[in-house]
Amino acid sequence: MIPLRMLPLALRQVIRRPARAVLTAGGTAAAMFLFAAVVALDAGVRESTRTAGADTELVVYRKDRFCPMTSRIPEWYERSIREVDGVVETLPLAVLVNNCRAGLDVVTYRGVPKERFLEERGDEITLAAGSFDDWLARTDAALVGESLAKRRSLVPGDRFEAAGLVVQVAGIVSGDAPEVRNSVWADLGFVQRSERDEVGLVTQFLVRVDDGTRLEEIAAAIDDRFEAEAEPTTTFTRQAFLGRVAGDLLELVSFARWLGAAALLGVLGLVGNAIALSVRERTAEQAVLQTLGYAPGLVARLLVVEGGILAGVGALAGLGAAVLVGTFGHLALSAEGATIPIRLGPVEAAIGFAGALACGTLAGVVPAVRASRGSLAARLRTA
Amino acid sequence: MTTIPTTTDAASEGPVRGAAHAPVAAASSRDAEGPFIRCRGVTRTYVKGSGRARSTVTPLEALDLDVPRGDFIALMGPSGSGKTTLLNLLAAIDRPTAGSVVVDGTDLASLPGPRLAAWRALHVGYVFQLYNLVPVLTAYENVELPLLLRRLSRRERHARVVHALEVAGIAHRHDHLPRQLSGGQEQRVAIARAIVGEPSIIVADEPTGDLDRDSAEAILALLRRLNEEERRTIVMVTHDPSAAASAKRTLHLDKGRLVHERADGAFGDADRAAEVTA
Repeated sequence: MIPLRMLPLALRQVIRRPARAVLTAGGTAAAMFLFAAVVALDAGVRESTRTAGADTELVVYRKDRFCPMTSRIPEWYERSIREVDGVVETLPLAVLVNNCRAGLDVVTYRGVPKERFLEERGDEITLAAGSFDDWLARTDAALVGESLAKRRSLVPGDRFEAAGLVVQVAGIVSGDAPEVRNSVWADLGFVQRSERDEVGLVTQFLVRVDDGTRLEEIAAAIDDRFEAEAEPTTTFTRQAFLGRVAGDLLELVSFARWLGAAALLGVLGLVGNAIALSVRERTAEQAVLQTLGYAPGLVARLLVVEGGILAGVGALAGLGAAVLVGTFGHLALSAEGATIPIRLGPVEAAIGFAGALACGTLAGVVPAVRASRGSLAARLRTA
Repeated sequence: MTTIPTTTDAASEGPVRGAAHAPVAAASSRDAEGPFIRCRGVTRTYVKGSGRARSTVTPLEALDLDVPRGDFIALMGPSGSGKTTLLNLLAAIDRPTAGSVVVDGTDLASLPGPRLAAWRALHVGYVFQLYNLVPVLTAYENVELPLLLRRLSRRERHARVVHALEVAGIAHRHDHLPRQLSGGQEQRVAIARAIVGEPSIIVADEPTGDLDRDSAEAILALLRRLNEEERRTIVMVTHDPSAAASAKRTLHLDKGRLVHERADGAFGDADRAAEVTA
């Protein structure tokens, strides 16, 4: 775009006008932070609701109940579910949350039969610290997801209280699934008894089937079994369950996408305005450069590069801050016991950077071209 | 058309009226290579306003001028007489509405825009009244600006910038920003910027107009030295007769026409006037 030897010239124009540089890059950084937050949320929802190729899991929930606090299913349903053709495994879960609404720091207890959980789902979790034996040995022991542990600064041996439940941290676990990283895994009976004394009732069943193509058929068969019971069920595929939970969030995300676009437009406006003001302020300077032999196109390109530098620096700052917050903040959006991770990956960051750079560069084009047009002699008269 | 005979002829014959098609060329007859600058029938017309308020202004009209290589000309005249317009035409900043401006064998009117800029970069050094240094660049960086257009190594660029700053007597302030310099020092930096590319012509638009007497004399001495020692061709616009006395010749313009020439020989020794009116 410009010869490399002229890059220091454009850089000096940016650095030695610190007020303009800080205000423009700062505004761009703020806009890009917003953009990054939107992209991260969007990516989290997409990741949570993505249908995996080998998806063979169903979630049995209380019909017409949409929150773990209100979904109550008799634990004995498990025997009946196991009888349905195609069902391979079932796992009862008592879910307890400290906040049923959407939030960034929701603590979700998942009460499970411990031995069966390790036996059937052990491949989905990795022990990062502590011990499974300690977890099995104590009724009030809990495995804490590593994102939640980092958020709350928990280590094995700590006692931890949320939603009126006090547990002893026996281990820190991680896994691919967001709920593994963001939940407290405790004993089923302990969770059932602790707050509501609801022994014999669970929130949901996780059901594995033998054939991923028969998910809908098996889900219908399960619901048919309990249609006439006092506690009828609705069985979802895992992704449909998360999709339903994330439904409200999707609306939010759809709106947030507009915010993301607005953030990019903000970059366009900010950098465009900064360059336009700069051009107006530096009419004489640009005319002098042309007098020295700089072609109008080169003068325009120098201004465009200035805009690109301002936008690039701002984008790096904003996206960098977003990556840091995402990495060290271990944020996750939880709703109705489901967890949606908020993380800005390198691809999203690169897209954001490229978008900001493109907007910043584009924003500089019009004022830059206008600055280089017109009679040089006339502009020198005002110099 | 306003024309002026050669200085030599004019000096012997006194004022001449209506001597058509004999261009000003104080030394052209002595210059075996032909004039370095050759203007023929140069007219510049501007359109001002729009609609019913539209009018045309002609700051230069049918001007002929020859300037030999190594000359030092002062252009004088009242405001609006066309001095700066002529300067801009010689510096390839503007194009004539009619006529031709040939500098060092190149017809400037025939060059397209980008090539005109490239020509300017190689052949012209411009010195402004108000210096027009880039405020965020140091003296060194301002002087370096014209060289960034050329494919030079950093070392060669550095050597040239340092040399230009030394010639202009401002090397000791190389790392100062324009706001940290006095007017005279700024103008020295501007002159260093004008000569760093070793242009064949230096044009200066009232280079001492904003300076105190001592600074003005120092700048004029510098210009004289560039002309005498480095054989730079210099065309300078000035309102100040004492500044004009530094030049080898003084041309007076009025209403877009050359009306008077004074050849000072060795910088103001004598006033051999050749006055011509339209």
